[in-house]
Amino acid sequence: MDFNPCMKHQLIRNTVREFVESEIKPHVSMMDKESRFPWEIIEKMKPLNFFGLQVPRIYGGADLDTISYAITIEELSRVSAALGLCVTVHNSVGIFPILKFGTTEQIKRFVPAMASGDSIGAFCLTEANAGSDAGGVETNAVETKDAFILNGTKIFVTNGGVCGTILVFAVSEGSDKRNQGRRNQAGVFIVEKDRPGFSVGEIEDLCGMRANPVSSLFFEDCKVPKINLLGRMGQGMKIGLIALDTGRIGIAAQALGIAQAAFESSVSYAKERQQFNKPLSKFQTIQNYLADMATKIDASRLLLYRAAASKDKGKAFSAEASMAKLYCSATAMEVTDLAVQIHGGYGYSKEYDVERYFRDAKVTQIYEGTSEVQKMVIARSILSKPS
Amino acid sequence: MVSELPWNSKTGTLKRELAGGMMDPASRRALEAALQIKENQGAHICAVTMGPVMAEEILHQAKALGADDGVLLTDRRMAGADTFLTSLILSKFIQKEYKSFDLVICGSQTSDSETAQVGPQLAEELDIPAIGYVNQIRVKKDNIEVRRHVDDFYEILTMDLPGLITIDLSAYKPRYLALEGLEKAFENPDIKIIDAKKLGLDDSFNALKDSPTRIIDVFSPTTQNENRVLKGAVKKIVDQLFDEYGKVISSGMGKDIKTHDHDEV
Repeated sequence: MDFNPCMKHQLIRNTVREFVESEIKPHVSMMDKESRFPWEIIEKMKPLNFFGLQVPRIYGGADLDTISYAITIEELSRVSAALGLCVTVHNSVGIFPILKFGTTEQIKRFVPAMASGDSIGAFCLTEANAGSDAGGVETNAVETKDAFILNGTKIFVTNGGVCGTILVFAVSEGSDKRNQGRRNQAGVFIVEKDRPGFSVGEIEDLCGMRANPVSSLFFEDCKVPKINLLGRMGQGMKIGLIALDTGRIGIAAQALGIAQAAFESSVSYAKERQQFNKPLSKFQTIQNYLADMATKIDASRLLLYRAAASKDKGKAFSAEASMAKLYCSATAMEVTDLAVQIHGGYGYSKEYDVERYFRDAKVTQIYEGTSEVQKMVIARSILSKPS
Repeated sequence: MVSELPWNSKTGTLKRELAGGMMDPASRRALEAALQIKENQGAHICAVTMGPVMAEEILHQAKALGADDGVLLTDRRMAGADTFLTSLILSKFIQKEYKSFDLVICGSQTSDSETAQVGPQLAEELDIPAIGYVNQIRVKKDNIEVRRHVDDFYEILTMDLPGLITIDLSAYKPRYLALEGLEKAFENPDIKIIDAKKLGLDDSFNALKDSPTRIIDVFSPTTQNENRVLKGAVKKIVDQLFDEYGKVISSGMGKDIKTHDHDEV
């Protein structure tokens, strides 16, 4: 067991950090203030493979392992959690299900444009009456001879305002006679943004992640050809759950990046800010805060990399990913809270980055499965093992 | 590159833990210049560095960016080499392994010690012509034409090959490394590691002892100047500022400010 990053992972971190520090950092505060999605930065990110992190090279990706993926999202989110969100959602729940469940024809049709960043991915499950309870989805898919007709409204869709390729979770009442009287069948459909009947709602006015255009998506008699169905009808729940398992590694990495940023700001502020004629860092209370932050961040990082390593080894990683997501997001919340506390009044001001970290952190405990859902997943894994 | 003083005055050694390893900024530009030559005219690039084992990381980076070979010259007996012995060691490597080279490109100076000596000294060791602080290269049929910045002028020179140039920090802005290239570089991580013996250095060779120059101490300079606060009405302060510091301000700006003009306004 070696807890040191290998040379490759160290170089991945340095490479991403160098880019985000010089090309993204100077704009992050304004992006947040203006709730602006920075297309000009996206253009710079495209040739560096940020939009095809784990996509095989034949489809234009970087073919990274999952630890490298997590490090990339962590470093991106350390500077801009909103862009980290865009990239991780695009790569994990946007592209990954197509690679995993798509036919070769579907992969060839959709993945290259996504991996190049020309078409940004989104995954929509959540509705007004369905979130943690995916079984409550009402968006329906009616099967015709050569197509499915989608009707419904998805809400809180990350990348909603900028997406080009959308994975839509919908249910059909089962035209197949054998399924009469059984539960609705769920399916995942790949929808291109220019399909008639598809439209984007207003951008949500959210607490954090303000540079990411989160929105509702409308499907009104949106006709999707059968060749756009991912897997089979009835596989929707399975695809959704597996997509979310990978998504959780990304969100855990994002939460970790936010926590790391808040921690670094706190250390430098504590060294520099003088009260009672000495720097804050000389007070034991502040030292205790910093020690707690560092310990939790380190534990988070180890959980995250273990989950990523499990995925790379082809082992079951669902519970590991949930543990990482649960703990990293809790750490992000606790660390950003302490960071604001250490900064005092300045921490509450938009002039300082920790105010943004604090707002950005909260949602990591909510999306891609709330903390409560993560505990369900973890408990299920514990209780399913023979005792 | 370090922000804190990396020198331990008591032991006279570098505190390496303070500095994360990185490719020196000028070397990044030298590599960029090489990559552009490779893209335009075609070339075989060998990235070479001398340093501790962890310096291998930057050779992977160089290969990911487009260098064909990566070579690390590393040995305990080579540690502590000054610029004179560093140049000597580099020249031994080139003479042994890359005899038929056309052009050696170095960064003009490192960001830590900033001596700018290794490039020119290496050219002396190899007995080839050298041009320092280059910011533009044109590869011609039998030679290269380079541009360099000297005082307020540009100087254009041609140089026969083989030769050596150093690249300054004003041009060849390095490209960002794409993640695909990085992943690929580690799929064939064939960095060549060469020690003192392989270079043919004597058994008695010890860079720390043999270096003709030695660092005695490194310290942060303390300023002798004191801050002065001028007090009073604004007009009075401005007059006083120009009267007492007009010359200093003029020389700082590089032009003569007429310190009494404002009186008439």
